[in-house]
This record gives sequence, structure tokens and C-alpha cells, in this order.
Amino acid sequence: MNKMTTVIGFTFLNKVKAKSFLITTLVLALLVTIGMNVPYFIAKFTGGDDGLASIGLARGTQPEIVQSFKAYYEKQETPGFTLAEYEQTDEAALKKDLEAGKIDGYLQFGASTAGEFPGVTYVSKKDSVPQDIQASLQAVLQSVKAEYITKGTLNEEQIAALTAPVQIEAQKQAAAGEAGTGEGKTEKAALINYVIVYVLVILFFMTIMMTGNMIAAEVTAEKSSRIMEILITSVSPLAQMFGKIIGMFLIGLFQIFIFAAVIAINVALPHNQPILSELNLDLSQISVEVLVFGFILYILGYFLYATLFAAIGSLVSRTEELGQAIMPITMLSLAAFYIGIFSLSAPDSTLLKVSTYIPFFSPVSMIVRIGLGDTPMWEILASLAVLLAAIFLFGWLSAKIYRTGVLLYGKRPTLKELQKAMRAYKI
Amino acid sequence: MSKPLVLEKVVKQFGDKTAVNEISLQVEEGEIYGLLGANGAGKTTTMRMVLGLIYPDGGRILYNGKPYGSELQHLMGYLPEERGLYPKVKVSDQIIYLARLRGMSASEADKSLKYWLERFEVPEYYDKKIEELSKGNQQKMGFIAAVVHKPKIVIMDEAFSGLDPVNVELLKATVKELRDSGTSILFSTHRMEHVEELCRNITILHRSRTVLQGSLREIKKQYPREEVLLHTASEVSGLEGIAGVTGVERKERGYLIRISDVGAAKAILRTAMDQSEVEHFEIKEPTLNQIFIKEVGESHE
Repeated sequence: MNKMTTVIGFTFLNKVKAKSFLITTLVLALLVTIGMNVPYFIAKFTGGDDGLASIGLARGTQPEIVQSFKAYYEKQETPGFTLAEYEQTDEAALKKDLEAGKIDGYLQFGASTAGEFPGVTYVSKKDSVPQDIQASLQAVLQSVKAEYITKGTLNEEQIAALTAPVQIEAQKQAAAGEAGTGEGKTEKAALINYVIVYVLVILFFMTIMMTGNMIAAEVTAEKSSRIMEILITSVSPLAQMFGKIIGMFLIGLFQIFIFAAVIAINVALPHNQPILSELNLDLSQISVEVLVFGFILYILGYFLYATLFAAIGSLVSRTEELGQAIMPITMLSLAAFYIGIFSLSAPDSTLLKVSTYIPFFSPVSMIVRIGLGDTPMWEILASLAVLLAAIFLFGWLSAKIYRTGVLLYGKRPTLKELQKAMRAYKI
Repeated sequence: MSKPLVLEKVVKQFGDKTAVNEISLQVEEGEIYGLLGANGAGKTTTMRMVLGLIYPDGGRILYNGKPYGSELQHLMGYLPEERGLYPKVKVSDQIIYLARLRGMSASEADKSLKYWLERFEVPEYYDKKIEELSKGNQQKMGFIAAVVHKPKIVIMDEAFSGLDPVNVELLKATVKELRDSGTSILFSTHRMEHVEELCRNITILHRSRTVLQGSLREIKKQYPREEVLLHTASEVSGLEGIAGVTGVERKERGYLIRISDVGAAKAILRTAMDQSEVEHFEIKEPTLNQIFIKEVGESHE
């Protein structure tokens, strides 16, 4: 145990002190920061001086519509644009102002035929209508159209009711036998949990790929530099392997902690607050269950994969051969990742249910089911039990392979050769 | 008290190939024991068994009278043939790490490392990375890593290969120092001159079995003295005619005469003294190199 702590410390400190670790962490933190502030900067740079686009409107051939447009525009709480009115009927003045940059664009109404609403054209310097302006214009134009078609038979409230989009409230029915949760999950809670699950799945996959590769590469490097022979005569292979795995795990956690801190700082910046609330995310709605099980599954899943990476690393003599050798595990983790990601929208599918009992897939698929689906506690526990059993089985097997593999040099041994060597070494 | 290291009829098989066949040897306290053999003779396998890396299929290995146990990890030091150190880690970091794994405290390890760096006159390597050092210096660091924790039994696989003569002498001196302080050293090499200088007892392995074993002096006695080295001021003729002389080779400063009988040496010296001034006369004992080639070469077909 004491020696394992020494191995953990050495693994951790050496990786943390390495320049490559510092640089990757800094670059990633920087990317995260930039990524999180992009929406704000985009808003800042595209918004113009007053933040609102100025849209010209001439009386033209449809004074009636223009009048009504103006009326509804004034009723809007947040119009999203400013209206610049022109008395002239021709477009010359509008064109001139558009050229001069006084307005961002102007509206044109076509000729109407037999009570139909005329076509609307938005003239600007771009080939498309910006998303936000289109939405704002549409909101006003819907009302204008309703009034135009009903020709005053409806009053304002009726028109407002007619044009308002139908709201669909999502509410989840709690399972009959499920005690404790009481009422179903609200939409807000579901959304934040969706995000959490999504983040957890990606985090799991990234950690496995990054630390897993590091573990395998380190083991191979130790083997090829022959320091392994000294290590094995000083520490039991089991202590050595798990020391390395735990050391790497701590590095992974450390890195996640750094990123979490970076994200938290960025979220806390005052200019990002409105965006967060706009996305309808409420951090207080995070389900503790998801976080706790997420953490447990994360640890267990990590150890399952990490032992295999260590075993594979011990079989390879040269770093160049490593990529090919770890391909099967990479595939396995990729499969787990995609099962998780594609099941986010269908958390109760049979595929997902089955894969929660397959050890290599269960860390990802179980968290999807816990976070988004309806999973009875016994299924969670059963899945965890299968996962634990798999960890012991593969941990034991990996330790055996590790012990044998580190002494086998030359080409990568086949399964048969490995068995033979195990028998020969009496491991 | 029982001997630090005893091997009794140790057998190791890899599949149907026997890598080590009934090897027995004993290393005393404060002794350097030479394990010789051509490539693939079973030296490294024997050493790995001694280290507990692999287990023998037959026979037994005793350390101070006891079989292998995890407490031995602290008592043994190992210098592998290919120096095992982390290329990208500082000398101090990794040697202290290795010493701690062998049961030393960090501060003790630091002190011991500094002592050895001073001993090799390279204290400035403390903060260097292994990859920044030359090959010979890397080897010195490997040597320090093997002895830093003050082991009682040290296993050295080809300790001096790849070193320049100055460093070979330096390393030899330290190995002798270790021996004199009571460390038992099992030493493998195929450089015979090192063995002649350092070892009291040797075992020559060939194709996984012992072909020759015993104290160096005894072994040499068994082999007839077959060569006479003669340096004279001027030419000497008629050496070929002396009874017992089988061949004469002209050298830079004299002759190397092969004889079948030691008695012929007297006649050679007399002949030489009659004709010229003798500067050097020596009945050469066989070198270990010759014995080795003879033993290993004979059964080699």
C-alpha cells in the first residue's frame, strides 16, 4: 500500500510537471473560455450602435397595411428593430438611405389580389434576412395579416390570441411505483439533466481516450526502456499497475477540476448571465441522483477501461505498435459513446436497456437512463453489480497479462503464446 | 550463518526448450561471482530467476537460507543489461523514486544519491534529465539506481559494456568497494579480462548447462601452460628444433612459442640465453578467454 502511494505520487507529479501537460491544459482552458464567450462577442459586434436594426417603411402602394404595421409595431414590447417612416411613395429615398447606411433595410409590399395578403419583400444589402429581424418582423406581420384578412371583424384581443403560438408544456408522469420523486420532472429539470448527461458522456469518453492512451503509452515506454525490470523487482506488479492507474485517474480529475473551474468562472461573468437564463438552464434543478451515480459510474467505468489499457500496453514492446494494439478498446469505447449519444433522445430503448448490462457500455448507457429515462433502483444496482464483477474479472486478468507481458519482448504475442508464457512463468 | 545466495539445481523451461539446466552456485558475503557464457547461454534467465522475476521449474534458490519473499525487494539491487531509466525524468526524481520503492525514505535516498554522484564526480547531474546525458553517463546513473538503496545482493548484467576505459576503471573500483563492504555481487559478462580481475569464483554456462565451475585459480591450474613468451635483444634461431615445441610465432619484440610440455620451457630459455640477451621470459598461464573458447568451442558443433 505504501509503495502504491509512492507510485501514485510519482505518476501524478511527473505528468503534472511535464510541459506538455501544462500546455494542453492551458490551451484547452483557453478554448473553453473563448467558446463560452463567443455568443456574447457575436452579439456585441453584430448589434450595431444602438443594438437594433433600423428598418425603413414607405407608404407605397399599400398604405393600409403600412398603417396597421405601424400600429402593431408600437404595441410590441420588444420590437427587435426600429421603424423609420418615410412619407414618400417611391423607393428612391429608401434606396439612398440604405446606401448611406442610415437604415439596415426596408420593407416592400406587393400588390394584393382578391383579399389575399400581399407578398412582402425585405430589401437590404445582404442576400438573406437576419434571423432575429425575421422573427421580429414575422411577429408583427402575423398580426397585420390577421387584421387584413379578417377586415376588422375581430377585435385586437382576438387577433392577439389568434396569432400567439400554441404553447406545449412538457410534464413527465412519475412511474407508479416510484416513491420519493412525487411529481414528474419539470421541463427545466429535464433540460439541465439532459445537458449534464450529455457532458458526462462526453467527459467519460474523453477521459478514457486521453488517460487510457497515456497509461498504455507509459507502460510500453517503461517496458521498452527496461525500467520495468527494475520496477517489477521492487514493487508487486499489482501495486505498480493500480498505482499508475490511480495516479492517472487523479490527473484526469485534476484536469476536469481545472476545466470545471474555468467554466464556472466564465458562467459567473456578468455578461454571460442573460445568455444562461435565455437557454432556460437552472442550475438549482440539477438532479443529485444523476451527479452521484454519474460519479460512481465514471470511476467504475474508468477502472474497467484503464486496466485493459495497462494490459495492452504491457504486451507491446515498442511505442509505434501501440496505436494498432489498443484499437479494439478504442472501438469499444467509441461504441459505448455512440450508444449513449444516440440514445439521448430515446432513453427507454431496448438497445440502451440491454447495454446497461454489458460492462463496457454500461457506464455510459446507465447514466443516460438514470438522467433521462425512468430507471428503477434495482436495475441501477444490478448494472453496477455487473460492472463491479467485470472490474474484478478484468482487473485480475489484466494484472496477470501485465505481469507476463512486461517480460515478453519482440513481436506482440498471440493469445496462445501469452498463455504459454503465463504457464512458463508460473503466473 | 547461511550464504547470502545459493542456487541448487535450478531448472527453467520455456515450452519444450530448456533455458537453464540444473545450475547450482553459491555466492559468499563480500564476493563477486562471475557468470559467463555466450549469448543465449542462460545468463539473463538465471539472473531473472534470482531476482524473482520468473520462477524456476525445478530446484530452489535460497537467500540467507530462506526462499524468495517480498522482503528481498529491499535487499536486492539490479542493473539490467539495457539500462532501465526514464529518459524524460530528472536523475534525482527517478533515483529517489526507485530507492523509495525499495524501502528507503526520501531523505535517506537523497543523501545516498548525492554520495554516489560525488563518488562519480558528477554532482551536477542531480538536476539533469537522463536523455541529456551521454550513454556512458546514463550507465553510471543506472549503476547508482542499482546500489543507491544499499542492497546486500546486487545483480549486474553486463555492467561494463559500452564504457570507456577510464569509466570502466572507475566502475570497477566502486564494485570492489561494494564487495569490500560485504555486498554479494552476481556479475555476468562476456568480457573475460574483467572477470579475471574481479571474481574469485566463476561458472561458465553453455547452452543452458554448466560446463565449468569453481575458483578461478583452480580452473586455471587444470589447464596446461602451453605458451611461452620470449623477448630478446636479437634474433634467436633453432627454437623450432627443441623437443616439445609445437610452433613458433614471430612477434614485434620476440617470440610466442607454443609448447606441448612445460619441460620444454627450460630448453627454450637456455637456447635464448646462449644466443642473445633475454629481456622477458614468461610461461603464460592460459587466459580465461582461451579456456572459455576451448570449453565452449569444443562442444560447439
